[in-house]
Amino acid sequence: MSRSLKKGPFVDEKLYRKVERLNTSGSRTPIKTWARACTIVPEFVGHTFQVHNGRSFPDVFVTEDMVGHKLGEFSHTRMFRGHTNKKEGLKRR
Amino acid sequence: MPRIAGVDIPEKKKIRYALRYIYGIGPKFADAILSEAGVDAEKRAADLTENEVTQIATVIDATYIVEGALRRQMQQNITRLRDIRSYRGDRHRRGLPVRGQRTKCNARTRKGRKKTVAGKKGVKG
Repeated sequence: MSRSLKKGPFVDEKLYRKVERLNTSGSRTPIKTWARACTIVPEFVGHTFQVHNGRSFPDVFVTEDMVGHKLGEFSHTRMFRGHTNKKEGLKRR
Repeated sequence: MPRIAGVDIPEKKKIRYALRYIYGIGPKFADAILSEAGVDAEKRAADLTENEVTQIATVIDATYIVEGALRRQMQQNITRLRDIRSYRGDRHRRGLPVRGQRTKCNARTRKGRKKTVAGKKGVKG
């Protein structure tokens, strides 16, 4: 079920203020954040975020197309390197 | 035989059912189109007058995206998700379910026919 329109999009307050501050000063330094659930608003475009995925902070450069998505959608939390080959798997053990 | 929305030629069925043969039109839209065009929904497609057919076609053209245009739009939406490297785009790329369904078992629609793996539970290796 989608979010009630009455509430508007969820934007992390602190992160938003930080972006505003960077926008007024014109700086584009990467912003480290844990706010994966934060919706990307137009003000974020052009900034680089380092979005926590539980382990590290992959760089997410925000483009216009990403507006309306959440930051977490671009910072994957799982890594799948393929299934183990049976022989290989046994050798490793 | 009447021809609506490009190549589609629905046949001797009642028009409200015949319209569903157009890609992008289901039960709901079929009835909505007919009530807006002012055409009797129970009439057979073949019995429609020239005028009624044009009326239906105009309503569809004006309000609905069907057939090729719809397919193209869907494709574009998916391509967009892929291009921005989002999680959903990634799932599309890998041919796995996009909306968080389980993949331990089932998910066969997206994953295709079963690929049997030797040595896995239940399969004698």
